[in-house]
Amino acid sequence: MVRKMIASATLAIALTAGATGAKAQDAGKPEAQTFTIGAHMPLTGTLARSGQAFNEGMQVAVKMCNAISPKYQVKIDLIDDESTPAKAVSAVEKLAADGSVAIIGGYGSNIIGPASDASDKLGKVYITAGAVSDELTKRGLKTFFRINNNAGYERGIATLIGDLKPQKVSIIASTKEAPALLAEGLEKDLEAKGIKVTVHKFDPAITDFKPIINKIKLQDKPDIIMMSAYENDYVGIIRAAKVLKPNVKLMVGTWSLATPKMYTEFPDLMNNVVGTSFLPFPVEVKSEEGKKFAEVYKQTYNKDIEYLSTLSFVETMVLCEAIFRAAEDGSLEKGGLAEQMRKTDRDSLLGRIQFDATGDNPNFSLSMGQHRDGKIVLVSPKSAANGEVVYPGLPW
Amino acid sequence: MTDLILQALFSGVLIGGVYALVALGLALAFGAMRIINLAHGELVLLAAYMAYLVESRTGLDPYWAIPLALVVVMAVSWALFVLVDKIKDHRELNSLILTFAIGIILTNAILLIFASDMRSTSSAFLQDAVSFGDLFAMRGEIIAFVLSVVLMGVLWWWLKSSWYGRAVRAVSSNRNAARLMGINPARIETVSFLVAGALASFAGVALYTMSVVQPATGHALTVKAFIITVLAGVGSIPGVFLGAVLLGVTEALTVTLASSALQELAGMVLFLLVLFLLPNGLFGARARRG
Repeated sequence: MVRKMIASATLAIALTAGATGAKAQDAGKPEAQTFTIGAHMPLTGTLARSGQAFNEGMQVAVKMCNAISPKYQVKIDLIDDESTPAKAVSAVEKLAADGSVAIIGGYGSNIIGPASDASDKLGKVYITAGAVSDELTKRGLKTFFRINNNAGYERGIATLIGDLKPQKVSIIASTKEAPALLAEGLEKDLEAKGIKVTVHKFDPAITDFKPIINKIKLQDKPDIIMMSAYENDYVGIIRAAKVLKPNVKLMVGTWSLATPKMYTEFPDLMNNVVGTSFLPFPVEVKSEEGKKFAEVYKQTYNKDIEYLSTLSFVETMVLCEAIFRAAEDGSLEKGGLAEQMRKTDRDSLLGRIQFDATGDNPNFSLSMGQHRDGKIVLVSPKSAANGEVVYPGLPW
Repeated sequence: MTDLILQALFSGVLIGGVYALVALGLALAFGAMRIINLAHGELVLLAAYMAYLVESRTGLDPYWAIPLALVVVMAVSWALFVLVDKIKDHRELNSLILTFAIGIILTNAILLIFASDMRSTSSAFLQDAVSFGDLFAMRGEIIAFVLSVVLMGVLWWWLKSSWYGRAVRAVSSNRNAARLMGINPARIETVSFLVAGALASFAGVALYTMSVVQPATGHALTVKAFIITVLAGVGSIPGVFLGAVLLGVTEALTVTLASSALQELAGMVLFLLVLFLLPNGLFGARARRG
């Protein structure tokens, strides 16, 4: 009994001494003020792939923000919105109620729309890198910001196709909001350049693209097939094209196509295929911030940085910096964060980031990268290119 | 135009064969136990991920994954049956809720284990084009179609000629009468679920070789399988095949003659039309009349 009491007392003294020692050590440092950023991401459900990549970029950005800021720190309160708009709205309400100073949105215009509406009603700044619909910036919201948009993707693709001067282009577009909008915009852009365009919209549930490709092969006879779709659609479309072999010169796509991951998983389908990109592969990051991001990301997730995680990284960095600025001038608690967001003017891995009156980034534009035997060569625009486009160039 | 329609018919028949393979297990459990297994799509998906596991880890052709898929999926299917069998009241309704919940659990388990990335075979052999005159298909599709037809034949023979098959039909017709004839319904239902699991295993591996899978695919598979089961009419194996082919051809022709955006809508219109005109399904109605 006595022995037990002595042991307990010794343990208590040791713990107290340790705690006091730690306190004494910390006393020398100014205590950092920590702000909570709320985030809703589709970690499960149909958009889980995008949500998980977004989460990775966001977490690395928070690490980097905190590493360079002794006075202020941020932490993330993350909720899985399960790829559904209703869950996203509930998540925003809960995050705001739990004290988040701002919200980082997940993925998909149909989810971001209602979630950012809810955030605006609660007076919380909302930033996204996963919703490109034009409608989102026409709502007059004062707290909504995004770093990428439909116009940027459209510009990148139209520039490449315009430079190649094809006579006919067939666009295969998912009926989901973002790809459908992109297809509509591209149709107008390309027709304005004198190119004949046909559009084939498809339901996202489609499993066999051969009937569409066969129509393109026998009726449209285009020079280029343009895919406004998502990863799983690209695989189905290119497979169907590989089977039917339409007489085209190039397959072009949009987001998440010109990535090392796609080549690693589908090497027989990707060679010479072109997609939107902002970095060549092997990754050549020139900025110090980009190099640090690539390094921390590799350490944390044991892989190279990728398209979606980079988008999320940039939006989180922009938000962190605005929070720190607002905290510094004492306006954070008084609704000053939106004003600080509007003052953003910085370079990033995606180019210059600024926000106009609608919260959109007018500078957003992407390059086009071509798969080349496991590498990704930037082929357009000429100012960003590190190689010539292989044209004609097909995976088969 | 003739070339377009012929290719559409050919593609529709091939995809219909695979739809049938996906729907067979659901149709069997529905026929034997009057239970709509809303986790059936997830069982198919689980088998597809077994194929991915074997292909990515060993470099072997995905069809070598069938033994592993059989063991894993049949075990899960058996566990599912044990849970369903615990339901004592309103089994048909409560099992819907239970299997739906199990489907969600399976989807998220797959998401946790295999991540959210989409998966599909990288086998050049299975992706190669095969032509029959002016008609084209992927080799993986042809193999999946043949597999589907063979399995349907085996299942049909099993139900018609084996003791267990006849017992399944007896329990399906009248559970109490079957019990009076010395059949143990619980055992027969276990067998039905195990066979449904086996069919899901083949379907999942076949699906992996010709399509793209990701954790959220399971629910869409269940819906497709359910539509085909209802189109076919309860308890009809040829009905499942014909219903699936009809759905596949309708979808392919809609893409060719109208718009690909209307493909799913056309399938649902067909579904509603059959329900309206033949409430017991294509073959259910014929059996009743016969």
